[in-house]
Amino acid sequence: MTELVFPIAAPGARRGGFARLVRMEILKLTSTRLGYALLAVVAGLTPVWTSIEASRAGRPNGPAPLFTTTGQTEIIAGGVWSMIIAIVLGVTISSGEFRHHTATNTYLAAPDRNRVLAAKAVVGAVGGAACGLAGYATALAVGLAFTASDGYRLVIGAGTLADWGIGRVVGAALLGAIGVVAGSLVRSQLAAVIGVFGWTLLLESLIGGLFGSARPYLPYTAATALAGTPLGSANFGPARGISGVAPLPFAAAVAYLAAIALVGALIAARTTVRRDVT
Amino acid sequence: MATIQIRGLVKRFGPVTAVDGLSFDVTPGTVTGFLGPNGAGKTTTLRILLGLVTADAGTATIGGRRYRDLPEPLHEVGAVLEAAGFHPGRTARAQLRVQALAAEADPSRIDDVLDLAGLAGAADRRIGGFSLGMRQRLGLATALLADPEVLILDEPANGLDPEGVRWLRGLLRGFAAEGGTVLVSSHLLAEVAQTVDSVVIVDRGRLVAAGPVAELTAGGAGLEDAFFQLTKEGTR
Repeated sequence: MTELVFPIAAPGARRGGFARLVRMEILKLTSTRLGYALLAVVAGLTPVWTSIEASRAGRPNGPAPLFTTTGQTEIIAGGVWSMIIAIVLGVTISSGEFRHHTATNTYLAAPDRNRVLAAKAVVGAVGGAACGLAGYATALAVGLAFTASDGYRLVIGAGTLADWGIGRVVGAALLGAIGVVAGSLVRSQLAAVIGVFGWTLLLESLIGGLFGSARPYLPYTAATALAGTPLGSANFGPARGISGVAPLPFAAAVAYLAAIALVGALIAARTTVRRDVT
Repeated sequence: MATIQIRGLVKRFGPVTAVDGLSFDVTPGTVTGFLGPNGAGKTTTLRILLGLVTADAGTATIGGRRYRDLPEPLHEVGAVLEAAGFHPGRTARAQLRVQALAAEADPSRIDDVLDLAGLAGAADRRIGGFSLGMRQRLGLATALLADPEVLILDEPANGLDPEGVRWLRGLLRGFAAEGGTVLVSSHLLAEVAQTVDSVVIVDRGRLVAAGPVAELTAGGAGLEDAFFQLTKEGTR
């Protein structure tokens, strides 16, 4: 143990500001295992799901045959687990502060809680984008491998594949930010994560199946449509296989999801974020 | 150096008044004990002072400013409020790196405060495996990282072994000797008596006594006897 002295910290430029908060949140995310574990889930789950779907292509109740545009689309753009994981990542970034009682230290370091929420949303978007990129790269590789191994040629253009990739990254980024906001509103990590899976896999599918015209406006569905996922190729539930409704245009879907994140953040800033930290 | 000033502080949680018109000062160069029975309002007062809980009335300032208005709060105030307030999956060193980034403190201070807290050998272990005493030490290391002028500590001796309590006493005395301001809440009266210069005693949210320990114990009673006498009078 050293002598009990209190040296003055070396003077340096104390640059304050939002960028410092974002860097702090990135360091917090990357200094625990959870973020890496969620990325590993994406990298593990996506090829398993895509392989199962590709092996069922052309069979009864399976995706369309792999030599068709529809079949290749369903395989490459259909398994969007990475986008669900992006929301979960966002939820854990914000609700984790309350699960582990770290909110006290966070707010002592940065007393302006709205800026903390904004910084977390940025980091949620970055983490979500990473999930989206990992998921798309994996799905594309598996889809191309199955297509080639079955002796078919790729019938989807490189431009479309790039658009899907961009859409997957942008959609997952927006969902990551929405996840941060959801975690700030709910605070209970377990409830929020259960809510994410319930909403994306069950409720949206149920609502989409019952009210077809509402489907393009369901947040998770809108995000997956950005990634090229055709409406009706939901992973589970009543919305699977239902078609005939056009998705939102790319820009409209981005604006819509950004608006959801913004409105949610404003509600959180006026309610839960202000609460006493006891 | 900064003075802590509490004026007319009131905080209610539903029907319960946790803090009821509390006023006192904590001056630089002293270690001030913040004493009171369980539920007296000590932790709530400290959390209001640090901007974590909103007061219903009154003010709590450090150097004349609310915590949230301090331009570089971590350079002005080091606080330890809960030993459990660390992510269990993060290492001690990573925790301090986050804090150093937040404060824009010199990263070379990380090894200094780890060594100061006696955690150099555990720097790269995950906090989830730490004992309560080690977490307290890490909390103090975190609080000292940005070389603050004020220390605000809530029950910092909890979980410390005798050697750790002795270390803490030396730490606080040394900090105050350098001109720092120390406010430390505790229910370990015998320990407090050896560490503090002044005390603020609260009971059911109200101020019961405040002043130098020497004045409080002038009648020959020890701090423990004086405390029980004062809090007993408060309940009448």
